[in-house]
Amino acid sequence: MAGDAESELVARAQAGDHRAFAALVRQYQDRVFRFILRLTGTRDEAMDLTQETFMKAHQALPGWRPEAQFRTWLFRIAHNAALDVLRRRQHVEFVSFADLPAGAEEHALPDPARQPDERLADRQSVELLERTLRELPAEHREILLLRELEEMSYTEIAATLGIAEGTVKSRIARARSAALAGYQRHTGEHRDE
Amino acid sequence: MNEQSTAMHAPDLPELSAYLDGELDAGERGRVAIHLAACPTCAACLADLQALSAGFRALPEETLGFDLAGVIEGRLAAAPRPASARRRRDWWAGLPVAVGAAASIAAGVFMGSALVTGSVATAPRMAALHVFDTMPPGSLCIGLESCYAKGGVK
Repeated sequence: MAGDAESELVARAQAGDHRAFAALVRQYQDRVFRFILRLTGTRDEAMDLTQETFMKAHQALPGWRPEAQFRTWLFRIAHNAALDVLRRRQHVEFVSFADLPAGAEEHALPDPARQPDERLADRQSVELLERTLRELPAEHREILLLRELEEMSYTEIAATLGIAEGTVKSRIARARSAALAGYQRHTGEHRDE
Repeated sequence: MNEQSTAMHAPDLPELSAYLDGELDAGERGRVAIHLAACPTCAACLADLQALSAGFRALPEETLGFDLAGVIEGRLAAAPRPASARRRRDWWAGLPVAVGAAASIAAGVFMGSALVTGSVATAPRMAALHVFDTMPPGSLCIGLESCYAKGGVK
């Protein structure tokens, strides 16, 4: 949806037009659902949270300003809703690179000796990748989802998560490194194994 | 990341990751590209990052499976309006009623005051009151004095 058309829909929704808001829901419901589902891991919970996200978005509409991108604004609400649930479940583990066991960071880096045709893209296993993603700390998982699935820019991710762009850059790198390490661990590719 | 230092070294992952995402400015991008051409370690690292990215993008796309928009629309229609919107609407909606009420009160006050103040409330002098004269209308004078007195009353 073009930015102008979307902004107009949001403006109409702000003025109380429920049909305009329904059009926005239709536009984003699957993307928000996927994001929340991969964060929380439970389909029923993700369905409830998706609905809650849109209801909260509707309540917060008076605070939306045209200079804010609707998608970023909406995903921020979804992110907060999902994190609340994860906190309640006490599943949020914010692990920094510094907290990883000695050598883990080094091991997370790829093995340059392998041939390109042996690499992950050529032998990807969806199931293992899903598992890898699930096992990542929420902080890493969400930033990868925003970047890889939503294809958000660093500026958009920064606005969605409420962090600095420099933090986005380093966190994405750490998340990718952790994902590679996890995937290699599952496939037995690790060079030390 | 230095193009001269292509010997075994730890790749600068944030730089390579940002390079993959197209988030480096032109100068940085050129520098990393030159380094990648000469450094198999970093080239391999970038290839893994690219493969990982491709793998994530190939993950199955789950869908909600129903029209949430319809559900939300129904909930919004059933829910009371937000307090702020309600306040705004009430202010405008109540304006004609308030004006009408004020006008009614003002009219009532005006009419009430007219009744209790002098001029308007004074009873008009009417010729019909002469029916209470001692002499019925059309009767003959019983004497000159009474006729003169009646004429003098007028």
